[in-house]
Amino acid sequence: MKEKTIWVIDDDPIYQIIMKKIILKSGLFSSIRSFQNGKEAITALKDLISGNDSFPNIILLDIEMPILDGWGFMDEIAILKSRMNTEIQIYISSSSIAIEDRERAKNNNSILGYMCKPISLDDLTKIASAY
Amino acid sequence: MEVINHFSKNKYQSLLKPKSVGFTVFFILCSIFYYIILQQYQIAQKAKNDEMYKTLETIRQNIDQSLKNNYTTALSLALTINDKGVPENFDEIGKQLLASNNNIDAVQLVPNGIISHIYPLKGNEAAIGLNILTSKKHQYEASQSIKNSKMYFAGPLALKQGGLGIVGRMPVYKNNKFWGFSAVVIRLNTLLRNSGINNIDSSKYYFQLSKINPITQKELFFLPIDKNLSKNSSVTTVIPDGDWKLYLTDKKPHEFYLFLFSLGFFGILLAALIAFVTTNFLKKPAELEDLLEKQTAKLLKNEIKFKSVFDQAAVGITYVDTVTGQLLEANKKYCDLLGYTEQEIKQKTIQSIIHPDDLNESFSNLEKLRKGIIREYTTERKHITKSNEPIWIKLTISPLWENNESPTNHIAIVENITKRKLAEEAIVNSQKRIESLINTVDGIVWECDAKTLEFTFVSKKVENILGYTAQEWMSSPTFWTDHIYEKDKNFALEFCAEQTTKKLNHDFEYRMIAKDGSIVWLRDIVNVIIEDDEVKTLRGIMIDVTKNKEIEKDLNNSFNLVSEQNKRLLNFSYIVSHNLRSHTSNITSIVDLITNSDSEEEKEEMVQLLKSVSDSLNETMLNLNEVVNIQTNVALTTENLNLKQYIDNALSILSDQIALKGIQVISSVESDIEVNYNPAYLESILYNLISNAIRYSHQERHPTIHIDTYKEAKKTVLKISDNGIGIDLKRNGHKIFGMYKKFSTHKDSKGIGLFITKNQIDAMGGNITVESEPNLGTTFKVYIS
Repeated sequence: MKEKTIWVIDDDPIYQIIMKKIILKSGLFSSIRSFQNGKEAITALKDLISGNDSFPNIILLDIEMPILDGWGFMDEIAILKSRMNTEIQIYISSSSIAIEDRERAKNNNSILGYMCKPISLDDLTKIASAY
Repeated sequence: MEVINHFSKNKYQSLLKPKSVGFTVFFILCSIFYYIILQQYQIAQKAKNDEMYKTLETIRQNIDQSLKNNYTTALSLALTINDKGVPENFDEIGKQLLASNNNIDAVQLVPNGIISHIYPLKGNEAAIGLNILTSKKHQYEASQSIKNSKMYFAGPLALKQGGLGIVGRMPVYKNNKFWGFSAVVIRLNTLLRNSGINNIDSSKYYFQLSKINPITQKELFFLPIDKNLSKNSSVTTVIPDGDWKLYLTDKKPHEFYLFLFSLGFFGILLAALIAFVTTNFLKKPAELEDLLEKQTAKLLKNEIKFKSVFDQAAVGITYVDTVTGQLLEANKKYCDLLGYTEQEIKQKTIQSIIHPDDLNESFSNLEKLRKGIIREYTTERKHITKSNEPIWIKLTISPLWENNESPTNHIAIVENITKRKLAEEAIVNSQKRIESLINTVDGIVWECDAKTLEFTFVSKKVENILGYTAQEWMSSPTFWTDHIYEKDKNFALEFCAEQTTKKLNHDFEYRMIAKDGSIVWLRDIVNVIIEDDEVKTLRGIMIDVTKNKEIEKDLNNSFNLVSEQNKRLLNFSYIVSHNLRSHTSNITSIVDLITNSDSEEEKEEMVQLLKSVSDSLNETMLNLNEVVNIQTNVALTTENLNLKQYIDNALSILSDQIALKGIQVISSVESDIEVNYNPAYLESILYNLISNAIRYSHQERHPTIHIDTYKEAKKTVLKISDNGIGIDLKRNGHKIFGMYKKFSTHKDSKGIGLFITKNQIDAMGGNITVESEPNLGTTFKVYIS
């Protein structure tokens, strides 16, 4: 199995810790990066583009974040898309159960799925195998 | 009514026809004139005759006289005869005789009938020796002389010596024995000359001499004969001495004719003239008679016509004695109208058929009519029919007497208007009903001209709704426009005009100023009335919606409140879904990890993590509690607070941080400004806003915070501005006052301060706004009511 990379964009530090644990435990991904908000992730992506490095395979994206939230991130990545050679699988992972959030995610083609927290090992296995 | 022929034809039949009278007059006059002319003629004729007789008589006497003279001459001649019977001195005596009697041409002595002596002999020689007793020519006349022993004049006859002559022979007896004749020869011309016939006006008369031929017994005329002369116009006389007949003939027996003719002509003319004048004179009455006849015929025709009009009229007509009110005549229609027969109606007085309600009016009008105050009148009143039912009639009264005469009769024309009256009554009732309906409508029913907006109707309800009377409204053509609330005027007029132009019924709301100065909200439902494809009239109803408006306002307020609360509730759900769930999901994950952990070390690590999750959850719960407190704190106590004092207090609490960051705080809030607020809230709001300004100050410049107040629409506005990092409102504006909305990665940022601040301000009935530009600064404005 090829080594996959995963990014977790979430402002909740505890969640970040938990996710790292789970991801490590799953052994599905070769590397994991954490970002506190959308802006940080976009900055990292821009660095990858300019460094001609490989992009992450999967991104888990929270919605509610300061500076640049999930939706803002999606807007920004849409701009960068033409400069990226690979497709990144983006999943929303949010504690929001608001229907409008789900709907909005569904209507965005670049979002592959909407996952309600907590994210379990099974969930990760599913998205990893879908890749 | 009877038609009376006032005109009798017989009266005029005795009058003669003017033409026949004319002719009669003409003939009578002609006869009279004829008679007069005839008389005149006869008188003239007689005078003429008399004159002729007289003339003739003169002539006869002259002739007679001549003959007498001749007799003397003949006698004298006879004396020449001597006893022997021989003439002596014949020539001598003959000469003397001729000289003394110039009538005589010659004298003869004829012894025994034989002419023996003649003087003058010269020229008469041929006669000598003629035996007249034997000569046929002379025999008869000669014998006449002898027979009568009297001188007899023979001839006229042709004389031997030429010409016509008369021979007077006197028988001479000698010794009682016939001797012979003593004769004188008279030339006819001489005789006639001496007789004076030459003195006769030969232009007038014609003289003639005739003798019956003794032998032939034929009348011989001795003077030239004018055949044209008639014996009728002649007078005659006879000279017995010669058996001569003398004629005097009127040469111009017709001389009167011309005169008679002209007289006759003039007579006829005069007669004709008089006849003509008479005819004309008679014709006048005849013409008048004719005219009268025609007029009478016309009158009769008219009377018949009127009679039939009277009888057949579609309206009732009656003659009434003005003084007594007695009905004298009535046509069929009138009778039918009241249900009486013609006989019955004539027994009625006008008073008896008038409805009691209208009797007074009738009396007063009749009185005026009698006194001549009015000449005629028309009225509508009620009558009572035979079957005692009231009927409505339209009455027209015209008097039949002249102005200066005393009242006699009048004519009354009556029309049954019961149906119309009932219809009118129905209309009036229906109008009343409509009016009362309109007035019960809880709104101002109105009508106005579409162009001028001048009102033609406003229902009474206007008094209840706006306090003005309908009269006040109608008295001014621009009342409506003038009384629309100033702020709504343009909208109302424009909208109305626009809809009217589009021919659309419309429904709009505006305010009007009531009489007491209050503002009344009206809903105006307008119907556009189109006539001939043009909007002529607007009709509608104005409903007082002031209460509705108040309710609406309350409702809107309630709605806003509910919406706000709903929004907060939603926020709560987010809090639950996001914040609480984020914690619970973390807990779930950690517990999972603990369960599946491989080592004690790892478990311990997870338990520590669980502890921090627990702390976060606790903090969140505290925050939520605070929010819930604000939300549910209904009976919040407020008091007048000195704003500056509270600001100073907040600044002193934060003085350490201000000093640490080197921030300059400039407060221009006056010390006397007081606000009615909850003290804890004011404290919290000021603390939150100022601490935010401190927290998000820009590191690269000299941070400044301005605190200021001003009044806006009766509200005190507290303005807190900084020149800090700012917020991208385009991105985050909608959630800046939301719970757990953080706009920076600042370590103290919890996303709860502004949420609580907004909730507190809302609870105090105010609001908060924000203006911000990234990297320039942020200004919060708190509106305190």
